[in-house]
Amino acid sequence: MSMTVLTVDDSRTMREMLRLALSDAGFRVVQAEDGLHGLEVLAAERPQVIVTDINMPRMDGFGFIEEVRGDPSHRAIPILVLTTESDAEKKNRARMAGATGWIVKPFNPDKLVDAIRRVAA
Amino acid sequence: MDPLAAIRETFFQECDEQLAELESGLLAMEGGDQDPETINAVFRAVHSIKGGAGAFSLEALIRFAHVFETALDEMRSGRLEATSDVLKTMLRASDVLADLVSAAHAGEEGDDPRAATLADELKAMSGGEDDTSESEEDWGDDFDFQPQAVSFEAPAGPTGFVVRFKPRADLYAKANESALLLRELARLGEASVELDAHDVPPINEIDPEAAYLSWTVTLTGDMDETAIREVFEFVDGDCELSIEPIAADEAEAGGEPEFDIGSLLAKVQGDAPAATEEAPAEIEPAAAAEPEPEAAPEPAPTLAVVPKAAAPEAPADALASTGPRKTEAGATIRVDLERVDRLIDLVGELVINQAVLSQRVMEAGLARASAVAMGLDELEQLTREIQDSVMAIRAQPVKSVFQRMPRLVREVAAMTGKPVRLVTEGEGTEVDKTVIERLADPLTHMIRNAIDHGLESPEKRAAAGKPAEGVVKLAAFHRSGRIVIEVSDDGGGINRERVKGIAVEKGLIAADAALSDEEIDNLIFMPGFSTASEVSDISGRGVGMDVVRRSILALGGRINIVSKPGKGSTFTMSLPLTLAVLDGMVVSVANQTLVAPITAIVETLQPKASDVHSLGGHSRVISIRGGFVPLIDIGMALGYRRDPLPATQGVALLIEGEGGARAALLVDAIQGQRQVVIKSLEANYRQVPGVAAATILGDGRVALILDIDTIVSVSRGEMRKAG
Repeated sequence: MSMTVLTVDDSRTMREMLRLALSDAGFRVVQAEDGLHGLEVLAAERPQVIVTDINMPRMDGFGFIEEVRGDPSHRAIPILVLTTESDAEKKNRARMAGATGWIVKPFNPDKLVDAIRRVAA
Repeated sequence: MDPLAAIRETFFQECDEQLAELESGLLAMEGGDQDPETINAVFRAVHSIKGGAGAFSLEALIRFAHVFETALDEMRSGRLEATSDVLKTMLRASDVLADLVSAAHAGEEGDDPRAATLADELKAMSGGEDDTSESEEDWGDDFDFQPQAVSFEAPAGPTGFVVRFKPRADLYAKANESALLLRELARLGEASVELDAHDVPPINEIDPEAAYLSWTVTLTGDMDETAIREVFEFVDGDCELSIEPIAADEAEAGGEPEFDIGSLLAKVQGDAPAATEEAPAEIEPAAAAEPEPEAAPEPAPTLAVVPKAAAPEAPADALASTGPRKTEAGATIRVDLERVDRLIDLVGELVINQAVLSQRVMEAGLARASAVAMGLDELEQLTREIQDSVMAIRAQPVKSVFQRMPRLVREVAAMTGKPVRLVTEGEGTEVDKTVIERLADPLTHMIRNAIDHGLESPEKRAAAGKPAEGVVKLAAFHRSGRIVIEVSDDGGGINRERVKGIAVEKGLIAADAALSDEEIDNLIFMPGFSTASEVSDISGRGVGMDVVRRSILALGGRINIVSKPGKGSTFTMSLPLTLAVLDGMVVSVANQTLVAPITAIVETLQPKASDVHSLGGHSRVISIRGGFVPLIDIGMALGYRRDPLPATQGVALLIEGEGGARAALLVDAIQGQRQVVIKSLEANYRQVPGVAAATILGDGRVALILDIDTIVSVSRGEMRKAG
């Protein structure tokens, strides 16, 4: 049974890129369009890893990570933050919220997969 | 299409959506919208475009989007005030961004001087000197590494490092795992790992959320410190970490591991608090025990072993499982237009077949109340509903074409020096996709005209007691099964004296013609009315309102104008909701059944012998209210008969072609009016002069749909020869 990755991104382009990269690597991919949607999919799909964007409508990445970390049944899921923000401030805020790691867009598919394998068994 | 190319197309589609969002957000802010979500949405739009552009290395786009985004971020954080001037610059920037997107889509990325100028303006707004100039910006990095000093003095040959690693509770709280970090580390070389469990308290004092263990890893092999730091990149700050190079002799001495890594990792999994309590079963000891990188990857799955929810369309499943979300986000699917058109075609066939069946049942003499007849009635109703639903798939809100207009208004306003406000209404009104696509040009032209010719100069407006800013309104709504689009302005209205003067000068009307106000207003639609002398940069381009009118007629639409002197003008277009069906007048000609498009028919009349005059040969004209129009015998024109039908035995349809030319078509009789499904003749047979398309009637017979324009122009040509 392959590992399930939840990707949360409001950009359709990014979601399709992630799906392509991750499904090529053999992951099962489930997707959500923003943080709130991500929480719903999370409850239904129980992914082993989450890859999330930061800038999103309704609930941004920070809020999403905090929600996941605050929920005992999901708090142990590794979360990678995927964003164009390369500045330290955004990254630190994401870490404060509980992000496991980060990837700077534009991502290289191999590095993305590596990062996922680094945080998930 | 290869997957990346498909994603590229998605990106450009998404760009169009983001650009629309950007523009409407900025316009809303210009109109006083202070909702923080508006500026957030504007920011996100540019941010997403930049993100996608980065994925496809569209450099010019990335650079401009970055500068734009920086300025928007300043505005979002309140450091840059959203004044009217700032928003105007942002709107121009959104225009430039749209151009850069189009250029990138067309593969014509290059330096746009306008982009450079605007980028400078944006940078100036973002706080003078640009401290994150694009050259410094780090676009290409896959990972954001901390710069590391790399020691170049490390001795040559296989050496190693001693890594001391003591996680803090935070590391586990962020779902990092010591076991995985150690596994990564072990991939770098030969590893010997020592576990220090001295800090573990007595069992009744153990805090499950705390971290007690630490490790010392002696790594030997050819590696550098950067690679080791990289392993701990994500946990920097959440652990104590020391990395020290070891001397060559030490490295050899460290060759005897005290634990083998496999058994160690198995222990670690039992230890790491918090992190493991949820997911112990997912860590496969076999994979963890094997430090070889090749052994770690997951087996490649095949579709067969993936559970149902993992089918390629998993997000749809995800959406389905989250009920309330669906309505909120307006769940959509993307379907090839070809498939939709195929469906429309099939439904057309279904409608025809159903009609044929109904007629056959009628002919068989079955009672109206019989079960078969009643079943057929139901079938007919269902068929109609299916037809309407299928047509609705092709329907789109006019928003997509309305959205292009604000930019046009800004540009024309700038060129003419007239301040203009565009008001749109009914953007959600839906109409067939093809109609929308073909509306863009006429609408563009009409809006240009409204600003250029309709609105007065600010001085004239002031003199007339009007506000300096002119208003152009674009409205759409449904009325009696058609879509109506109005373009109105609050300008000076049509200058009837001048219009009439031009028409006389051009020989379009007689100098003494008595015309009503409405007729004078509609003169602007006549071919040749638009004069070279008034062709300006803006509304000119060599086309006049006659071209607009022709394109509206080609869509089966009508257009007219109502003008009030001093108050402004309103152009009203009425268009069919779909191009797949047509409102037709079914007529008989020489035992044939033909269909004339209703939109072309002005009126029908019974010719009187005294009104019809022969011009020699078979050419005839008919007098209608004092004017003469050619009388065309359709039976002759299409070759159904050799001798003309006496005019008094038939019915004349007064028709008007796209060019405004009128003629009377003589037919034997009118059968009635009905909606018919259009079938292409060219696709199924070949082009036939005088015939636009075909349809199949309820009795199963094929009826040709007349091509009014060809018939009118051919007959006029023949008349000129005869006359």
